[in-house]
Amino acid sequence: MLRNYLKIAIAVLKRRWFFTFISLFGISLTLATIMVVVAFFTQFENPGYPDIHRDRMLYVTSMYFWGDGDKHNINGGAIGFYLYKHYASTLKIPEAVALSSNPTRTNTYINDKKLGLALRYTDEHFWDVLQFQFLEGKPFDRRQIDNGDNVAVITDDLRNDYFGKGETAVGKYIVADNTQFRVIGVVRGDVRSNEFSTADVYLPYSLSRGDLKSTDISGNYSILLLARNKSEIPAMRREFDEMFNRIPISDPMRYDHQKTWADLFLATYTRHLFGISMSNGHFRENGDGITWFYVCAALLTFLFMLIPTINLININVTRIMERSSEIGVRKSFGASSGTLVLQFLVENVFLTLLGGLIGVLLSIAALALLNRAEPIKNLHLFLNFPALLYGLAACLFFGILSGVYPAWRMSRLNVVTALKS
Amino acid sequence: MLRHLSKLMWNKKKQHLLLVIEIFFSFLVIFAIATMIVFFYRNYRKPIGLEDKDVWTVHFDNADTPGSADSLAAFYDMVHEAVISLPKVREASYTSFNTPFGDAMNITAFNTGNKQVGNVYSYHTDDHYADALGMKLVEGRWFDKTDDAARYQPIIINQSLEQAAFGGEAAVGKVIGTDQDAHKRRIVGVVGDAKVNGDYRQPNSSIWERIDTNFRRDVTTMLVKVTPDADATFEGQLFQLLSNRIKHADIGISHLSDSRSNINGQAIIPLIIFGIIAGFLVLNVAFGLFGVLWYNINRRRGEIGLRRAVGATGGSVATQLWTETLILATFALVLGTFFAVQFPLLHVFDLPTGVYILALIFAILFIYALVTICSLYPGRQAAGIYPAVALHED
Repeated sequence: MLRNYLKIAIAVLKRRWFFTFISLFGISLTLATIMVVVAFFTQFENPGYPDIHRDRMLYVTSMYFWGDGDKHNINGGAIGFYLYKHYASTLKIPEAVALSSNPTRTNTYINDKKLGLALRYTDEHFWDVLQFQFLEGKPFDRRQIDNGDNVAVITDDLRNDYFGKGETAVGKYIVADNTQFRVIGVVRGDVRSNEFSTADVYLPYSLSRGDLKSTDISGNYSILLLARNKSEIPAMRREFDEMFNRIPISDPMRYDHQKTWADLFLATYTRHLFGISMSNGHFRENGDGITWFYVCAALLTFLFMLIPTINLININVTRIMERSSEIGVRKSFGASSGTLVLQFLVENVFLTLLGGLIGVLLSIAALALLNRAEPIKNLHLFLNFPALLYGLAACLFFGILSGVYPAWRMSRLNVVTALKS
Repeated sequence: MLRHLSKLMWNKKKQHLLLVIEIFFSFLVIFAIATMIVFFYRNYRKPIGLEDKDVWTVHFDNADTPGSADSLAAFYDMVHEAVISLPKVREASYTSFNTPFGDAMNITAFNTGNKQVGNVYSYHTDDHYADALGMKLVEGRWFDKTDDAARYQPIIINQSLEQAAFGGEAAVGKVIGTDQDAHKRRIVGVVGDAKVNGDYRQPNSSIWERIDTNFRRDVTTMLVKVTPDADATFEGQLFQLLSNRIKHADIGISHLSDSRSNINGQAIIPLIIFGIIAGFLVLNVAFGLFGVLWYNINRRRGEIGLRRAVGATGGSVATQLWTETLILATFALVLGTFFAVQFPLLHVFDLPTGVYILALIFAILFIYALVTICSLYPGRQAAGIYPAVALHED
């Protein structure tokens, strides 16, 4: 039965190549676009080098201070060193608490060439929480931080630019920000867009030029919390929140509230997009924004797929009406409406799966092209399993949606009129 | 004729509903992208208002600076002196962190005493700023030494703000402020608008204040105008000089023209991505429309044959088909225009109404052109139908 349906479907596809081309074109390009976007997103959101433990990590990245009533003061910033040193590093549940500064941009000049550098000040746990691959040497340790040694870990890209391709760097000196640092390690660089780990030079926080004795809980850092396993995330967050709530308000004259969040990776972005509003000088909180993010993403995808779907329905209606005589004959020999609807659905799902297959091939080609062009440094996109699943789901959605309406219209066709034409 | 055809199309509305919906959505997509393009183009045509070529931005954070206000002023004067005496430096100016084409901004409200203008960009600069950036004064003057002993704090505004706050009146010389005397400020100059958010954005209302004792501690940025032959070697020398003079600071030098192309990219890249997606959607719709029209011709061979037999020329058959498609598009456009005009009416985005109107016209013309192209080939095919053959089949 199914084989028969498929045979008919192939025959129909061959008959009107132009319509077949339009259908396949729409389906495959839509799918390819969606899958490339999903590949970008999964690359961004899923654990990857160097934060492979992302699913058991929480990120503390920003902090807000605000006042009630007429105090229209709202102030935001990153995390201060004091919060890390005196509060966060005393937490019991996390396996490790790491400190990472926001990158400082500076230049270095070598052989009459200018190199732009991003410096990042970290503690020793940074290297435990993030699993950087050391091509040479090793990270700095507690002792070197306490001694204030001028040591640096650099990326392979910087090594190639500064010391020349193929040269080793460990033991040599690099001048950055007018200071000489001894290179003690070289790591494989990561994707430029990773806000919490990317840099060209990693330095012990004790070399930072900011004031480490300040008691300001806001500053220029992020704190990364690593739980022992995934199930301890809620407990870790609770412990962090309780700890933070004990800290007195920094500037009670100006502010009545201060707040920071230990967030999952995605929430560090979505919270700012959807979770916080500051209209009219009033600060309002509305969750971590992840749900809103997914709702918006789903809505956008739906809108994006709407036009190709309507197009497909249009073409299917046209094609089905072309076959009214076939339908008439089958009906008069006793085929029920249900059987006919089923047949057309099978045909249509077959067509969309074919389009899906082409879409997968197209997206593989597109990703290969993107990987070669490297629009973002060190970015390697690949068609992963979730992306494939999404693609398949979108395919079926397409096939069923664009098949149901024409099939329903066709099944209502009167036998006599159908046969007459 | 047109009325008759409209009636015919209206009677078959159920059959054409999906086509209308499809055109409707494509219209909205085209309208959105046309709005962006028109807005960007209008801004692009305005003069940039400053010279970014050969201007370097120097940041120095966490500097170890003298404690007392007087010695701080002397210290900054000394650094300025040292920079300006370098051979390839033409001008140097201290400024607040919000440099042109940068990510940072400082927004304030401007109160003339009887009128308040919101969303005004606020800068703190010294006497050399306009020269370093090549900004043109329209009225009055930039800050100078005579402001040291001024009774009122001197400020400079740009043309947009002059227009917004004073209408057509000249602003120079006006003393503004509602507070007590100590906070009153006097406008000493009006500069031309500059597109500090890049070539594709509108210039903002802006206000400049002179760096005073209170603010000096927060100054972490210097703009340096150099000669065209200043290269990386010279940049290294400047870097060296600054790190020797400003102790213990994180120093970074960037080029203003890089920031400009960067911020332009931020504006234009989303437009390009959106454009590619829209192009794909429109192509999809065009193919669909083409296919359906083509199919319809084949189904209406009898009708067309009859019309030819009673004397219609091939051209008039093609025209009829084209007109029918235009009417179909008009149904969708009426619906689409209803939604599109809500944007200027409800002020959804902060864009001038003229932009929407131009975009609307563009989108309507685009859709008409699209359906025309799609109906050309089916129309020609219909014109080629021989009455004898078509009627014989029936």
